[in-house]
Amino acid sequence: MELKDNILKLDKELNELDKFVIKFKKIIEKYTDYVIISGYVSILLGRARATEDIDIFIKELNRKTLNELYKELKKTNFWCLNTEDEEEIYNYLKDGLGVRFAKSKETIPNMEVKFALKPLQKESFNDRILIVMGKEELKISSLERQIAFKKYYLKSDKDIEDAKHIERLFNEKIDYNKVKLYKKLIENETR
Amino acid sequence: MKPGKTNKEDRLNFVEYWADFVKNNPEKVWSRQQNILINSQIKNARGSKLSKEDYLSIKQK
Repeated sequence: MELKDNILKLDKELNELDKFVIKFKKIIEKYTDYVIISGYVSILLGRARATEDIDIFIKELNRKTLNELYKELKKTNFWCLNTEDEEEIYNYLKDGLGVRFAKSKETIPNMEVKFALKPLQKESFNDRILIVMGKEELKISSLERQIAFKKYYLKSDKDIEDAKHIERLFNEKIDYNKVKLYKKLIENETR
Repeated sequence: MKPGKTNKEDRLNFVEYWADFVKNNPEKVWSRQQNILINSQIKNARGSKLSKEDYLSIKQK
């Protein structure tokens, strides 16, 4: 697994979760930019666990574009778990809340979508990693942001283990000065 | 893999063991093993027919 210039090529066999995420992001990227964060990132990088939800930040959309996106999601067999009302979806996102989408009539797996509204959320687009898996691509947040967010903000056993997996796998590639910086920024933003 | 003195330590030892396995084996090899776990979870979830109301209620607890 080689990370170079923020591009990581993976020759892995895609699982059902990967296929679900790729299908969803192909619709999202027609309307806005995105970055995948948190647990699924560790899983994509080989961690031996499953997850029921995938966290994704999208760049803020206006009401009209979000409605168009929602219409396409419905047309392609996704539904929103929180509400079917497009106005409510928009208002939740504008309030910084996560809105979940799954395949119609299913609940797991689901994509938890948030507008990137806070400075740290917006900045996570700047140093993303592009994962290339054959013809498929996914954009994930940087390893340093993952580690800092998991170790110093979320802090559950599962999150510590996710961070440990990434640290062990990429030890020589991780810039611990950046991790320290993000730790401080997280502390300031959540104070 | 060294057994841990506590469940937490044992889990962390396994995380390290598995990360080393991922690092030292072709991606097709580790991903095939990982996919058994992930695909079975999704299959079970799809079979459970959990309603969205029940799912969101569980998540909020």
